[in-house]
Amino acid sequence: MRRFGVFLIVVAAIAAGTASAAGHVTLTVYAASSLTDALPKVDPGERYSFGGSNALAAQITQGAPADIFASANLTIPEQLYAKGLVTRPYVLTHNTLVLVVPRANPARIHSVSDLRKPDVKIVIADSAVPVGAYTLQVLRTMHMTDVLDNVVSREADVRDVLAKVALGEADAGFVYATDARTVPKKVAVLRLPVWARPNVAYGIAVVTSSKHRAEAIAYLRMLLGRRAQTTLQSYGFLPRRTPG
Amino acid sequence: MKRLAFFAVALAATLTTLGFLVLPVLAIFTHVSPVTLVRQLSNPLVDDALVVSAKTTFLAQVLVLLLGTPTAYVLAARRFRGRSLVLTAIELPLVLPPAVAGIGLLVAFGRMGLLHTSIPFTQTAVTLAVAFVSGPLYVRAAIAAFEAVDPALVDAARTLGAGPARTFFRVAVPLAGGGLAAAEALAFARGLGEFGATIMFAGSLQHVTQTLPLAIYAAFAVDFDVTLAIGGLLVLVSAAVLIALKLATSWTLSLQTSGFRFAPSTSN
Repeated sequence: MRRFGVFLIVVAAIAAGTASAAGHVTLTVYAASSLTDALPKVDPGERYSFGGSNALAAQITQGAPADIFASANLTIPEQLYAKGLVTRPYVLTHNTLVLVVPRANPARIHSVSDLRKPDVKIVIADSAVPVGAYTLQVLRTMHMTDVLDNVVSREADVRDVLAKVALGEADAGFVYATDARTVPKKVAVLRLPVWARPNVAYGIAVVTSSKHRAEAIAYLRMLLGRRAQTTLQSYGFLPRRTPG
Repeated sequence: MKRLAFFAVALAATLTTLGFLVLPVLAIFTHVSPVTLVRQLSNPLVDDALVVSAKTTFLAQVLVLLLGTPTAYVLAARRFRGRSLVLTAIELPLVLPPAVAGIGLLVAFGRMGLLHTSIPFTQTAVTLAVAFVSGPLYVRAAIAAFEAVDPALVDAARTLGAGPARTFFRVAVPLAGGGLAAAEALAFARGLGEFGATIMFAGSLQHVTQTLPLAIYAAFAVDFDVTLAIGGLLVLVSAAVLIALKLATSWTLSLQTSGFRFAPSTSN
């Protein structure tokens, strides 16, 4: 009998929880890991799932219940748009790729060309992840693809790369400028030459199968608005260059 | 009437359980035809992962057998103060989330870790991660196997003049053989599937540290067919291990001359 009482309390609690949430539709936002800190600051009222943009896209393709998809490039959302899985993507914001080294800098890396030194342990993201593709692009532009021989791991998203450098286990890694800012005491930032910097643009779109389409469109418009853009820029993201 | 109702409920539960557990495994094979599976074996990603997995799992299991067998023998034979504490320490990695194991290995063996080694990101790191998560499984079951050996036979060997080493190699290990093989099979299977500790401690690099489970993860967002093919491959290997395990166990039972039971470790 007592057990049944406990059961009733649990049911009541769940019901109360659902009822209190009924006033506001909580959107499920799938977003690139690099947005981990900024997006919840812009709107803490939604449910966020952060990961490598390619992994999130794969989940959406498999029917994941996302309402919004924010990718660290335009290619992936455009591919999903071509398949009819998301609406036409907008440019959300921009970012810059940088090289990070642990504060102690055990391998004494002071420029990109130092990555060529023997036994330097470089961590990059997998080439399927946007940040990994940008990394390869930079190395190709700088005619430095030989440093790939010093790569010891290809991680699943940008935050995994950052973590291994911040821990001091890797000597260097390529991440976004915004990621480097989250652990200023642990990593030092080396800027890339301007001519080699890739154009990092974030694409955002509404997932076609969303059950809260109107709310999702409103959320997207809110993110493109001035207040949200100012918040994003306070995290180091760059102003939108592409109109839309 | 009541009894019949109970039987019906139990039967329904059994069928649900069976369906739930079998469906995902079968689903892999409905999505990937044997032809695709075989063709994917020549995919360099799968190929490299297969080699890395085979090599690291083999080395890890050699390590587990060489260190784990004497450890289990000592713990099965001796009763001492703090024994249950030692057993708990050995069993802890079994229940630890693999990601926690990975971060632990990193702060123990990492460059910035307690021992300041350069192991992370190497095949040694993969081997250690696999040994760390699969070793306890072996030791635990091996203790039970040694405890199940009739102490009278061990005592007889000793009174007949065999030294402790000779007794261990010629009497205890052969008598516990089936149990040890079963323990090793489980540890092997667990080691082959290792994911969390490896990706945190060893990273993931094709041809170097990317094992089959890491390749599944890497391929998931790129090529779903490859993911399924590796999945199918691992299901087949795991099933083979399980069948071998069953055969080994029934073989021991039929060979056993003295009373045999699966005695749980007495500390529990």
